[in-house]
Amino acid sequence: MTIRRNILLGAALSALTFAVAGPVAAAGVEGKSICYITAANSHFYVTPANEGAQAAADAAGVKLTIVSEEFSPQTGADQLNSCVSRKVDGILLWPLDANSYLPGLLKAQQAGIPVVAIDTKAGEESMKLIASFVGADKYGQGQISAKQMNEALDGKGKVVIIAGQAGNNTTIMRTDGFLADKAEGIEVLATVNADFDQQKALVASRDLITKFGDQIDGVYAEDDAMAAGFLQALKESGLAIKPVILGIGGTKTAFDAINAGEMTSTILQPPYDNGRLAVETLAKVMGGETVAADVPLENTVVTKENIGGFKPVM
Amino acid sequence: MSANLRTIGNLVVRYRLLVMLAGVLIFGGFTQDDFLTLTTFQSVLDRAAVVGFLALGLTPILIAGQIDLSIGSVMSLAAYATIALQPSLGSLPAAFVGLGVGALAGAINAVIVVALKVTSLVATLATLLIGASLALLISDGQPVSSADPMFGLSLTNELLTVLSPRSALFIAAALIMFVWLRATPSGRNLYAVGSSMPAAISAGINVNGYMAGIFVLSGLCAGAAGVLQALSAATGSPLAGSALLIPAITAVVIGGTRLEGGRGSSLATLGGVIALGALTTLSEYNGIPSYTQAVYTGLILILLITLDRISGDNGGRKTRTLRRAAVKQVQQHGGTS
Repeated sequence: MTIRRNILLGAALSALTFAVAGPVAAAGVEGKSICYITAANSHFYVTPANEGAQAAADAAGVKLTIVSEEFSPQTGADQLNSCVSRKVDGILLWPLDANSYLPGLLKAQQAGIPVVAIDTKAGEESMKLIASFVGADKYGQGQISAKQMNEALDGKGKVVIIAGQAGNNTTIMRTDGFLADKAEGIEVLATVNADFDQQKALVASRDLITKFGDQIDGVYAEDDAMAAGFLQALKESGLAIKPVILGIGGTKTAFDAINAGEMTSTILQPPYDNGRLAVETLAKVMGGETVAADVPLENTVVTKENIGGFKPVM
Repeated sequence: MSANLRTIGNLVVRYRLLVMLAGVLIFGGFTQDDFLTLTTFQSVLDRAAVVGFLALGLTPILIAGQIDLSIGSVMSLAAYATIALQPSLGSLPAAFVGLGVGALAGAINAVIVVALKVTSLVATLATLLIGASLALLISDGQPVSSADPMFGLSLTNELLTVLSPRSALFIAAALIMFVWLRATPSGRNLYAVGSSMPAAISAGINVNGYMAGIFVLSGLCAGAAGVLQALSAATGSPLAGSALLIPAITAVVIGGTRLEGGRGSSLATLGGVIALGALTTLSEYNGIPSYTQAVYTGLILILLITLDRISGDNGGRKTRTLRRAAVKQVQQHGGTS
């Protein structure tokens, strides 16, 4: 009995010491380790994000181990478990679906390892176990695109939506944001899924152009690669129409197209900053600071008028 | 000189898994402070369980000289069924339906191969395509989240320091299969089927029965892999198994089971799965990109198979049943002409 009381006392004392030491430790996270479970090693958006994360980790003196899910949430869930078993000090996770990470997140919570999500949100249950989300406000991107479209078409016209993967969180947010804020007079002729892939967008756009032809007043492509796919199909068709084309991302191709007057606008979503900000946020959490549940990237619209002030981010 | 090489080759091939594991351990110990721990071992075993069940199901198939390409698709279907049926059936019955889906798919493969006499490569290529598309069609391409996410979470918990419930299941299944293949007549006959089917037929072995049985077993194992994956991730993904066919085949072959049939063991598969898992974990600890890992795996495969050929003097080893069959044939035909 006495022994047990002593143990309890000891535990209380060490908790007290820990509490006192807490704010001091917050000053630096140098020498700590982060496990970064990224979506892929080689991808136009993910790779620069990984580079940004690495740079921020180097700057903070944190050891960053990058493991790649190769777009498979199953792999990611296993990797998350591994990272928790390794008892790293923090985990940066790129969630690829709603629930797969739940077991690992629960284990991380038990082990007291903070988790920050990058780019994509996981399901509601999972997000409760995640300290902060760092990524673009994708619903906001949809709303901004709607505003661009409303202005360019004077609130009246027929548009097509070239969306990303069906069911993907980014796709849903960008579509819903657009539909919520588009003007009454803007009619959506068709929504197609081209999986954020230029080639698929090209094929889908050929069909759209054949089917609707000069009815198309506007095109809302949910990323620049798919906007490029539509442009290519339009050039092939030889059709003399000049629809309003909106993209998202800020690729070099989109910048060229805006300069050439072929595309109307894009929204910058800088991957490098996304990675950097995510690691910085995680480091703050590891240091004991409180951070916002949502750390959004700024959405900057690039049009022909302001393009001189910006550089492509991808 | 060449005799020496052959001896070394023989040793390396015979103990390939130990050589590979030792290599991983030594390299891991040097590069990472926290690699040589029981926690690492626990995590390697735990991650091996799902691909392990696929590889186990494949082992008798390869021993019989066949192939089952459909296991990944079957696993996806089973994983999806396990989660999608939870609300209407309850978590446990849905898991059994998942197993049933696997067995049923295996039975379909068996019918195509045995009754319709389609080569297993073509038959299971067809069911791979059908299964993968079916999973996407039924699910509308969307993973379904479990209504009861806590039900399967304990599958990945720690058990007896180095195990988890799912890795314990996998190891137990490998041991049971080992006893079946080595210590029962039916298991031994399977090697005869794989070594030479005509000889096995003339020895009076019910080849069709064995073929049907191993395809059902393989489907069942793929179903088990799907159920375990789905429950432990609380998600039924129509793509759950799509990326696991190749790792499963690789693990079986690294273990030493031959694609040509007649040779192999479930313990070798267990070793192959663990060796591959350890290699993956080591690469991840060192931050080696996954595509580089695949290059290593490919090189290891080529190296092992080449060594196998160099030292391949035991390729002609036959089972007792086959020798008897050969003798019988010789007697019937009055010797070689």
